[in-house]
Amino acid sequence: MSEKTHPLRKYMRPQVKKTTFCPGCGAGIITQALLRAIDELGLTMDDFVFVSGIGCSAWIPSPLFNADTLHTTHGRPIAFASGVKMGLPDKHVIVVSGDGDLSAIGGNHLIHAARRNIDMTVILVNNGIYGMTGGQTAPTTPHGLITITSPYGNAEHEFDISSLVTAAGASYVARWTAYHPRQMTKSIKKGIEKKGFAMIEAITQCPVQFGRVSKQGSAVNMMKNYKENGIRIEKAARMDASELLVKIVEGEFVDCDKPELISSSAAALQGPTGGSN
Amino acid sequence: MQKVTLFPQSCKGMEDCGICAFVCPKSLFVASEEMNETGYLPPMPPDEEKCTACGNCMIYCPDFAIAVEGGAVDGREE
Repeated sequence: MSEKTHPLRKYMRPQVKKTTFCPGCGAGIITQALLRAIDELGLTMDDFVFVSGIGCSAWIPSPLFNADTLHTTHGRPIAFASGVKMGLPDKHVIVVSGDGDLSAIGGNHLIHAARRNIDMTVILVNNGIYGMTGGQTAPTTPHGLITITSPYGNAEHEFDISSLVTAAGASYVARWTAYHPRQMTKSIKKGIEKKGFAMIEAITQCPVQFGRVSKQGSAVNMMKNYKENGIRIEKAARMDASELLVKIVEGEFVDCDKPELISSSAAALQGPTGGSN
Repeated sequence: MQKVTLFPQSCKGMEDCGICAFVCPKSLFVASEEMNETGYLPPMPPDEEKCTACGNCMIYCPDFAIAVEGGAVDGREE
């Protein structure tokens, strides 16, 4: 009985007994979706370098994964990951961080890495709030939502990160909620295999800082909301903007192949004669 | 064969989390009366007769506290 372990425990550091998340946090579901994708691809942790920034979801790779991890400064994991990919082009580089880290303070790194099409996979865990610092309004907080810094409702409008990164030129962009971890695993597998910039936006519940203050309730209530309001992008394309206000558009935003930066600049360094100097 | 293995020390409680009970299509998870070492109430072992081993509880559990083997979860392609 006691010798049985969770099948994904082999990817986690042996001294880690518990995840670092609050009860009901969806980041654990995304951790599992990522580990399951690695497991199903038949890769080992030695094939990866994980980079994370600052925030609750940045704690996914850094204490949990038995792998090479970089826990970097706030907003800069993509900048660090670009360097890692240049130095170790054979490794899969995965950035796992939150919406506050990657789309607020690190927003420019995100769109420019997508524009340059650097080969990395970004798991952007979007809980719609600054969870770690107490639940302040973030650029991803839905319009009108009550948070501790917007007691009369958020007057600002939120970022649509997947559309932003699609427009910036990423090779693969998908969005799933924490209620759709099987689909998320499939997308993460595609993202890892994609030669180019791949981003998977994982919408997740924060029952403690988001649900409690905004009166959206517990983890289960927030997941029910994802179940009822999640809608596939194919169907959303035929709906009006007014109908989509409360909906969460999910699915693959873009899946295309185009030249990747690191490999094409390596080819350029060889010169027009093929490096005969 | 036992399909569901619980790791109650990893669980963060059915009062605050309860995702296993929400995603189980057969509603087999109820809170135990015994606290784990951090004071949370983990679920009791579910009824193995009714369990179809769909794997939902394992896939959705944020704390790696449930493992499912055999049945549908192992038989399914990808």
